[in-house]
Amino acid sequence: MISSSQKVVFWSLVCFSVLILSLPTIIVVGASFTSGNIISFPPDGFSVKWYEKIALARDLRQAFGRSLIVSLICLAVSLPVGTLAGIALTRYRLRFGSALQIYLLLPFTIPLIGSGIGMMLMFGNWGILGSLWPVGVACAVINLPFIIWSVSSSAAVLDRDLELAAANCGAGRIETFLHITLPSVMPGVITGGLLMFVLAMTEFLVSLLLTDARTVTLPVQIYNNVRSIITPDLAAVSSVFVVIALVAVWLLDRLVGLEIFLKSK
Amino acid sequence: MPIKKQDQSFRYPLHWRIMDVLEAALDILWPRRLARLTGWLLILPALLLVGLLVIGLFQIAENSLRTLDRSTFRLSEDYTLQNYTTILNSATYGWVILRSVYAAALTVAFTLLLAFPFSYILVRTPSAMVRKTLLVVLFLPFFIGQVVRAYGLLIILGTNGVINQGFGIVGIEPIRLLFNFPAVVFGEVQYMLPFAVLMLAPALTAIPQEIETAASSLGANWLRSLWHITLPMAKPGIVGAGLVVGTLTLTDFAIPAMLGGGSQDFIANAIYDQFFRTADQGLGAALTMILVALGSVFVGIIVAIFGVGTLGMGGKK
Repeated sequence: MISSSQKVVFWSLVCFSVLILSLPTIIVVGASFTSGNIISFPPDGFSVKWYEKIALARDLRQAFGRSLIVSLICLAVSLPVGTLAGIALTRYRLRFGSALQIYLLLPFTIPLIGSGIGMMLMFGNWGILGSLWPVGVACAVINLPFIIWSVSSSAAVLDRDLELAAANCGAGRIETFLHITLPSVMPGVITGGLLMFVLAMTEFLVSLLLTDARTVTLPVQIYNNVRSIITPDLAAVSSVFVVIALVAVWLLDRLVGLEIFLKSK
Repeated sequence: MPIKKQDQSFRYPLHWRIMDVLEAALDILWPRRLARLTGWLLILPALLLVGLLVIGLFQIAENSLRTLDRSTFRLSEDYTLQNYTTILNSATYGWVILRSVYAAALTVAFTLLLAFPFSYILVRTPSAMVRKTLLVVLFLPFFIGQVVRAYGLLIILGTNGVINQGFGIVGIEPIRLLFNFPAVVFGEVQYMLPFAVLMLAPALTAIPQEIETAASSLGANWLRSLWHITLPMAKPGIVGAGLVVGTLTLTDFAIPAMLGGGSQDFIANAIYDQFFRTADQGLGAALTMILVALGSVFVGIIVAIFGVGTLGMGGKK
């Protein structure tokens, strides 16, 4: 039972939250379809000319391609590493378990600027600054807890006896892993992979520190352009990210259901 | 001899043979008597990957002890604490640090104020449609990314932005809503809201609704049952959410850079400037160490006051 005055207070705060959360997105998408040369409200009529413009802009296309490469590298690194770590944390009795967990949470507790600067200095010393793959590895490091968390929460529900049963039936260790352990953590792997891909795609600060003019990723490109001038073509580029986010939310809902994030731990 | 012929032609399926080879190879590479260590083998890549951050921190710490030689523009060879004394004696950095801490405190307060009712309705609403809508509204910005969201706020708050155009219609002169402290705090609240709700909602789910019903049937109005029942029981979630929002705001770069327009720098912006504008890496590294220390102290104080249990809410189970 929620009393009516509580309803009024809570719902007005919720409506305000919904407004500030979704208005920027709606405005960006709306502004991208303007036919005028500046962003104004109400928009000057409807056109897709800014989309035609960004489709022809080489720097934006290349930046988008680089963001894709970074995300794929991030995925290639974090999927195996995160999956194995998630399995190890839940299926094996490790000494110093809680210390390990705190250590593996370091990517979240060290400020992003610190992680970014640290890797920048280190990659600089190793002479690999300026290529694209270290950016992907860096994205994998800073978001690693996400995939470890999602794999270990689905590994926790696997019945240990299943693996023993497989071994009893003569399956070797690799066979047991491939046919029992891996399929059972697959939902967690897919969720984690989705998170890692999208977060690497939108990653800004670490990319800003690790890229130069020849290797900028799309979020950094947007940031650089915003600093100079705000034109509707940026709104069109931003809409690309809105589409990516829509697909990601839809996939997440289909795969695990958004409600899973409300469950108490 | 038909049977023998059949025997000769019979072969195990290919994937059986591949599996046998793999298993045999595994027995040589990682014998079963090492089974005790298998867990460590599996977790090793993750430990190494996170090790990159630890090495990076050491590198920063080392740089922070070396000062910039203005004649050669190289860092000195010998170690001093001079960078730290420069920062501590500088009023500019004092202001930057104070501004970051103040903004983080304000952001925590406003974000929790908005996130609590949001999580409460999200968890308690009987309508599946309302819940799904609120969840989509929450997750969409989370996946859109910080730069694009800040860009959206720029369009809304700008001099020719939505709000000022609205003011124009009612006949109010346009006012400067951007590039000031409130704009940055507003941007941070908008950015942190999804994080806070995702930390709070599980804690609220854990509170049985019957307890609130019992309180109200015993005569408590909703404010009293909120104060005496819901808030105390949700404390781990509230503290966890405050912790995450506080540290993320304290260390943020993009929002102050984009919505503050250079006049509202946080510590992260000052660090960036030291590395990329002034090129004084030693000073920048010292600032980074101070930020890391500040964040750790903040986490430490919260944990000391509210207990270690809150840390478990910090991400992984």
